[in-house]
Amino acid sequence: MDATTTSPAAPTGLEATGLAQRLTTQLERTMAAPGAAGRIWIGSLLAVIAAALLAYVYQLARGLEATGMREYVSWGVYITNFVFFIGISHAGTLISAILRVTNAEWRRSVTRVAEAITVFALMVGAPMVLIDLGRIDRLLNIVVHGRLNSPLLWDVCSVCTYLVGSITFLYVALIPDFALLRAKTTNGQTLGWRWRLYNALSLGYRDTPEQKRYLERAMHAMSVIIIPVAVSVHTVVSWIFGMTLRPGWHSTIFGPYFVVGAIYSGTAALIVAMVVFRKVYHLENLITMRQFRALGALLMALTVVYLYFTLSEYLTVWYGGEAVDRRLLDVLMGPGSYGILWWLTVVGCFFVPALLLVIPVIFPHRVSLSRLVVACILINIGMWLKRYLIVVPTLLTPFIPAEAAGVKLVYEPTWVEWTITAGAFAVFLLLFTLFAKVFPIVSIWETVEGVEQVGAERIGVQVEADPPPPRPAPGGIIPGVATVGGIVLLLSLSVGPSRVMALEATAPAPPAQISVTSGREEGKQVILATVTRAGKPLEGARVVLQVNRTFGNLTLGEDDTLADGTMALAFPADLPGGPEGKLRVIAQIKSPAEYAAVSAQATLDGALKVPPEADPFAPALWAPTAPLGLVITICSLLAIVWTVYAFVIAQLVRIKNSS
Amino acid sequence: MQIPRRSFLRKSLQALGLAATGTSTTKGASAVANPDVCGATPALTPDGRLIQVQGSTATPMLPGLPPGDPKVRSGIAGRKWVMVVDLSRCDGCRKCTESCQQMHQTPVEREWIRVFTMQDAKETAPYFFPKACFHCDNPPCTKVCPVGATFKRQDGIVLIDNERCIGCRFCIAACPYSSRYFNWGRPETPAKLTPAYSPETGFPRRVGTVEKCDFCPEMLSAGKLPHCASACAKGVIYFGDQLEDAVTNGRGETEQLSKMLRERAGYRFMEDLGTEPRAYYLPPRGRMYPAPKATAQH
Repeated sequence: MDATTTSPAAPTGLEATGLAQRLTTQLERTMAAPGAAGRIWIGSLLAVIAAALLAYVYQLARGLEATGMREYVSWGVYITNFVFFIGISHAGTLISAILRVTNAEWRRSVTRVAEAITVFALMVGAPMVLIDLGRIDRLLNIVVHGRLNSPLLWDVCSVCTYLVGSITFLYVALIPDFALLRAKTTNGQTLGWRWRLYNALSLGYRDTPEQKRYLERAMHAMSVIIIPVAVSVHTVVSWIFGMTLRPGWHSTIFGPYFVVGAIYSGTAALIVAMVVFRKVYHLENLITMRQFRALGALLMALTVVYLYFTLSEYLTVWYGGEAVDRRLLDVLMGPGSYGILWWLTVVGCFFVPALLLVIPVIFPHRVSLSRLVVACILINIGMWLKRYLIVVPTLLTPFIPAEAAGVKLVYEPTWVEWTITAGAFAVFLLLFTLFAKVFPIVSIWETVEGVEQVGAERIGVQVEADPPPPRPAPGGIIPGVATVGGIVLLLSLSVGPSRVMALEATAPAPPAQISVTSGREEGKQVILATVTRAGKPLEGARVVLQVNRTFGNLTLGEDDTLADGTMALAFPADLPGGPEGKLRVIAQIKSPAEYAAVSAQATLDGALKVPPEADPFAPALWAPTAPLGLVITICSLLAIVWTVYAFVIAQLVRIKNSS
Repeated sequence: MQIPRRSFLRKSLQALGLAATGTSTTKGASAVANPDVCGATPALTPDGRLIQVQGSTATPMLPGLPPGDPKVRSGIAGRKWVMVVDLSRCDGCRKCTESCQQMHQTPVEREWIRVFTMQDAKETAPYFFPKACFHCDNPPCTKVCPVGATFKRQDGIVLIDNERCIGCRFCIAACPYSSRYFNWGRPETPAKLTPAYSPETGFPRRVGTVEKCDFCPEMLSAGKLPHCASACAKGVIYFGDQLEDAVTNGRGETEQLSKMLRERAGYRFMEDLGTEPRAYYLPPRGRMYPAPKATAQH
């Protein structure tokens, strides 16, 4: 596609329809330069971001001392933000993909916002872990010295895969819209960077049947593969906690629990975003009660599922009543400050929204957007607090209570942490604001396609179609039910892993001498010490036998010498003597006092042989390299996903080549 | 400037460490007279004066192997270091902690070996419980390290390479025994005291990295007991090589490990976690000192 071929000979496919033209014009208005209010909004976001950057620079200069994190409570607000934003990211891609796969017609004006949330939430969430790092300067160690044994590496792999996937997903669905915008900006006067951008990104898409086929293939492949990828991401995030042995974290349902929580908070965030865009950009005709009713019902169902998981998790722990779990629950739900926070969260952020959400389910015509938004905001505050309550109280509850050493544990986040957190939210909002200024936040072509195929009413938009849709509507599934069914199905899938060597006496030439050897008495091996004085055996001398060990001498026993000047003790055949079974035996005179400290050493055979360890670094989870099974599993999963990505890219190349 | 006596002494001891690491490549410290001899030991202060330090408090700081040495990660073949703590002898005096802190130059609140006051149940007797890193044979901390900064050696020691650690603190979260500490701020290292870094001593410490009890590998290589063991006059802490079946305490008492554990019902703390600690405890039966007052129940 060359920049000089500005206008196609004749508008084809999408561009030909008046509806597409009208929608493009409507959405172009949303993309106009921001007005005064818009500039103030962007300016304030930039101010918050600048403050956060300063806070981060301060943290880099002082070290993590600048945060409230200390001994025991070594993770805090940053990790909470990480889990929260990764959770929000599920709004998008997962919901959009599930809606596409289940062919929920009302999705058409929802998917774009949903997919954008995913990309921006990931762009904000992933760096939160980096901000939490003590040594950001050594980040490359993850590549150079990365260990696949660590769930953190699984996280790196899955988050990167998810980010690439969700950007691709967002992009593929934007291509026909880029084509429309390109045509539109060609007709109008807004030539310039916008035209160049849309032209380049549209890959020369002209909605020819061939291109349409490639696009549909790419969309379908992406929708299917992104679902397991999204599920894996939040599962792996939960495993950062789940793989430890800590109370409140070491839970088998943590994977699905986090995934449900993620879809829950993500859906709530999606609704808020849609309400805001609808209001700010006057998209009432495209984002209608149809979408809000469906998403509200979905959110209600998710509330129930999330409460079910929460009950399931904590009831089991409480009922079993292990000592350390009881201590945790005392911190988490007891009368302390965390307990207050917990009950406020559960009641205020889950039960109250449930009541607000259940009203339109019972009375289908009583849909109130303000009620819905209040419920969604409460849910999102609740989900942030819930993640905070997952991270901090467990760290406050070590197996050995810190109080037993007189250490009082507290965690109070500092202004640095709060400023950076505010900055994260500001970046998220700014990305969204800028996105809406450059890209259409409702999918034009999908809306047009829906109106043509099944009519405006069924897809839940208020536009007039140009030609009446000739094609019959596909079988009517109640979309909300199908979607919830799809999610439950996906979740259920995801739960589914002597030489004798007498030495000279060391004493300064006393008349007594001692020697030690190995001998046999009554068929048993003995250690034989002989004490002589002036060449004659000394009777009645007290002799101690010891074996030399690294840090001291192990006493075997003592006895008096007989008339022949000897004493004997059974050889300690059960004592290990290195690979050759040798013991360095020391015989020392204890009395009479004038000979005390006269000693002799000998290295004697016959002790237990300690064979050298066959493989001191046998495969283990703690070993430097990962067990083969784990490597194969991770690599094959990644290979499958990236192969599908490659397939999608190939479709895009074909679209470009066929233009 | 008035230097408080205590910190002055500490600085002098640091100077001793410098003398040992900087001037002597052989084991031990040629610059220091035998510290075991009672009386005074000459020591060099950071400002270059020669002072005398009471012999009993002066122990040379030995150098550890440099980070690049393969032996740092492989450890000593044919050794399996093991610690035995005799709870019946502990009176909670915290000499182990103090000695460890002094030798490792740790900040006051950081206790690589920490003495807890434990009580298993309301009706059972409280007891002092000195706890260092257990150097588990199935170490949960080492499993989760994303970059292999913490590693287990064949002599059983779990060490940290502070020049590789990225400071994610996953290991801290994963350790069920809260044995790991983090350098939140920039650690103070006197300007003149900059011996080459060694993972075997973890010194000089690095900001934004994790540290913990290291079983004093530099002492073990020199055939000496770790500082906590040698500092305990009560003989609570025994240390030795499991492959020699013998452990020795600070009083020079050497016992047969297997016999000791068998006859005195030795156990490992929270055996059911499956971490296989390299530290054993002897129950406080027939204790030699009065029981502590109860604090928290474990």
